[in-house]
Amino acid sequence: MTAIPDDERCYDVVIVGAGFAGGILAKELVSEGHSVLILEAGEDHGKTWETYRSYLDQYYLSLAKTPNSPYPNLPTLPSPSVLDITAVRGTEPDTNGYFVQRGPLPFGSNYLMAYGGTSLHWLGTSLRMMPADFEMQSRFGLGVDWPFKYDDLKKDYERAEWEIGVSADAVEQTPKALGIKTSGPKDSNDYFAKDYDYPMHSIPSSYVDEFFARADGMAIEVGEDASDTVHLKVSRTPQGRNSTPRSPKNGQGIPVGDEVRKQFQPRGATGPFAYMGQRCEGNSSCIPICPIQAKYNAMKTLEDANHIGKSLMETITQAIASKVELDENGRVSGITYKKYPFPGVPQYELRRARGKHYVLAGGAVENVTLALASGICKSSDELGRNLMDHPYMMTWGAAPEPVGPFRGPGSTSSYANFRDGGFRDKTAAFRLEIGNWGWNFAAGSPNSDVARLVEQENLYGSALRDKLYHDVQRQVRLGTLVEQLPRSTNRITIDPAYRTPMGEYRPVISYDLDDYSRAGLAAAYEACVRIFQRLGIKNHTAYSPSDAGYFTYEGKGYTFFGAGHLVGTHRIGTHKSNSVTNDQMRSWDHDNLWLVGAGSMPTIATSNPTLTLSAMVYRAARAITAAVREGGAK
Amino acid sequence: MTTHDDTIAYDAFLTVSAALTGYNAAELQATGCAAEYWHHVQQVLPEDILKKFLSPAPRLGKKDDDKIIRESYLPDRCLGPVARSLIQLWYTGQWVPLPQEWRENYGASRFDVVKIISTRAYKEGLVWDAIGAHPQGAKQQGFGAWSLEPPKQRGQADDRNS
Ligand SMILES: Cc1cc2nc3c(=O)[nH]c(=O)nc-3n(C[C@H](O)[C@H](O)[C@H](O)COP(=O)(O)OP(=O)(O)OC[C@H]3O[C@@H](n4cnc5c(N)ncnc54)[C@H](O)[C@@H]3O)c2cc1C
Ligand code: SF4
Repeated sequence: MTAIPDDERCYDVVIVGAGFAGGILAKELVSEGHSVLILEAGEDHGKTWETYRSYLDQYYLSLAKTPNSPYPNLPTLPSPSVLDITAVRGTEPDTNGYFVQRGPLPFGSNYLMAYGGTSLHWLGTSLRMMPADFEMQSRFGLGVDWPFKYDDLKKDYERAEWEIGVSADAVEQTPKALGIKTSGPKDSNDYFAKDYDYPMHSIPSSYVDEFFARADGMAIEVGEDASDTVHLKVSRTPQGRNSTPRSPKNGQGIPVGDEVRKQFQPRGATGPFAYMGQRCEGNSSCIPICPIQAKYNAMKTLEDANHIGKSLMETITQAIASKVELDENGRVSGITYKKYPFPGVPQYELRRARGKHYVLAGGAVENVTLALASGICKSSDELGRNLMDHPYMMTWGAAPEPVGPFRGPGSTSSYANFRDGGFRDKTAAFRLEIGNWGWNFAAGSPNSDVARLVEQENLYGSALRDKLYHDVQRQVRLGTLVEQLPRSTNRITIDPAYRTPMGEYRPVISYDLDDYSRAGLAAAYEACVRIFQRLGIKNHTAYSPSDAGYFTYEGKGYTFFGAGHLVGTHRIGTHKSNSVTNDQMRSWDHDNLWLVGAGSMPTIATSNPTLTLSAMVYRAARAITAAVREGGAK
Repeated sequence: MTTHDDTIAYDAFLTVSAALTGYNAAELQATGCAAEYWHHVQQVLPEDILKKFLSPAPRLGKKDDDKIIRESYLPDRCLGPVARSLIQLWYTGQWVPLPQEWRENYGASRFDVVKIISTRAYKEGLVWDAIGAHPQGAKQQGFGAWSLEPPKQRGQADDRNS
């Protein structure tokens, strides 16, 4: 190879990726006085209000309003899109989209390559895991245990909740209050530290939520054991969107991590319009874009990092990390990256970034493709394996009365009852999310309703208008998020035959649902049907063998999608034989390399992963700080 | 710039649109999209068909709207598909291309493609009002509005078009 020019400055820490993980890590490290460089493959979408506005316009004009629709899909930097998902048939992989899908089932999730990462179009659901989720092997003989327990992450959960700005009330969020029959008798005790509370009050429940709450108290059996029967309860979901800041009791402040914090200051939009988005206004488009940035996105934390770090903090966007280079001792000596000046034009300059420590924070898939392309982290053979997601199944129907959908955040409540329980030895746990946007995700409403009523029911004029009101006002939808176990065969690999126009490896994915998850999905469907029966909801759910995500279980067919929750591919563990990094996310094989993000999580359980991965970043940040101070020796 | 004939045709377009959508001409104009849609329809339809499409206008807005629409528009091989696309345009801001068969019989236009006409068109789609909501990503209703009882269906009293 011809000589690659080194960047002039050598940083304490070089971070790949400006999403949740990269943002929080950068902020922590510059706060400790370390110099940080972030390499971000994507464009900066938030630098000026005009760019951000233009993405909003793009959303308005997109025919299919998918998660990635507002943001440019650059040939230089392809992102996975939900529109590319088709069934994988025969032995040839499906190469439709950015992912190369080997099947047998398609991996339906996506993410966003841009400054801010996938936080730009996440929904904001910010759940902590349950104590049992860290002990799946000891409690149920399934999957693996984490190298630490729920209690060990508690303070970091607090820090993450205050960084993201999560709206919820702690009293409502203990396993007991959620109506969960936990598998451990003491799991609900001290779930929150004494006097701790979320930075902002809960987001108000939707009218749809209140409608579903009429089924509260109904008994639903899961599994074979009568003691596993749960009693339904609609509970509000902790969300990373601004509501009303909590006033600390008696002006005392709220203990967060190891400090006492004053009242939380909501952060609005980044850039010059900071007064916008200090509270959620119900724009009802959180996925894919919050027009006012009331929903948290990582650009807020990155802005803090710039502000705190000043000259310590450097970010290079449109810079694709391409290879992690090692010296003769197996330590990382640099990361080469492709800096492309013009988005969309596959021309670039190859450069090398240098630091004392290096962190991969590019997300669970991209961390792996980069590491595989660099031939690193090989000794455990776990790199790229154990890919997990929340297979997402929708159940939808028509309520007997208007319920006011298409207003407010995508989801404000769920039935959390099924998130843990004795049944988990045979049936996967799940959460039933209550949707606020009618059949939008399920059937393309309300545009599809207009088409149906005009083209098929031959309506026009006020009859059309009235029928639209009648039909759409009654639309309800539940979304099942079911857990997956770590499976070595669900994995990401690379293949020289599949590259992007910039010459980077495309992820090659093998993916399937095991019977454990299928049993959970089937039990969830059954629960949804019972809820519909109880509330007089006419079931309109339709699963078809022609759906890309169609699968069967015990003779019945269902359809699943991806949830965007990419987890498990570079898990933490107790030993270099069972994991890619130690419990501080430091690579076993390369002393000055760290891998952070949801890829670090050994199990996925039923919580959307981002709060947990963010909490884990604090753990890594402390260790990296210590390592930088030690001068890098182990 | 606009001639007298243009104005008459434009008014006729609004009259037909009102009858087809169930929103009156003032409401349609208030969307700020009427001129854009008129322009679009002129680009897509051959002149003689446009003329035919607007010719029942003087009889509309009186007593026989349903008869006229059910007889002259919806089942008509030529005008039916145009009427259905126009209704959807008003409701969603999106042009639904005419069927292939229609194009073969009456003429194809390069403007007859699926498209959301403009950002305004998306936000002003009548569907959002009809369903008692607001366009996703715009015209937010305010913190906590999603908890309130849904708006009632527009009653007959409100129905200024019939
Ligand atoms: C539609 C959708 C909704 C979601 N909703 C929720 C939710 O409600 N709750 C929840 O908990 N989670 C949710 N998620 C998941 C959540 O978005 C992810 O867990 C989270 O974004 C992961 O954070 P991260 O920082 O690890 O990665 P990302 O946010 O994906 O950021 C990674 C960044 O690294 C950059 N990068 C990658 N590779 C390279 C490279 N080689 N060189 C330079 N830069 C690189 C990328 O461009 C990107 O900016 C959702 C996901 C989707 C798709
Ligand atoms: S409901 Fe609207 S304002 Fe609130 S977070 Fe979602 S998009 Fe933003």
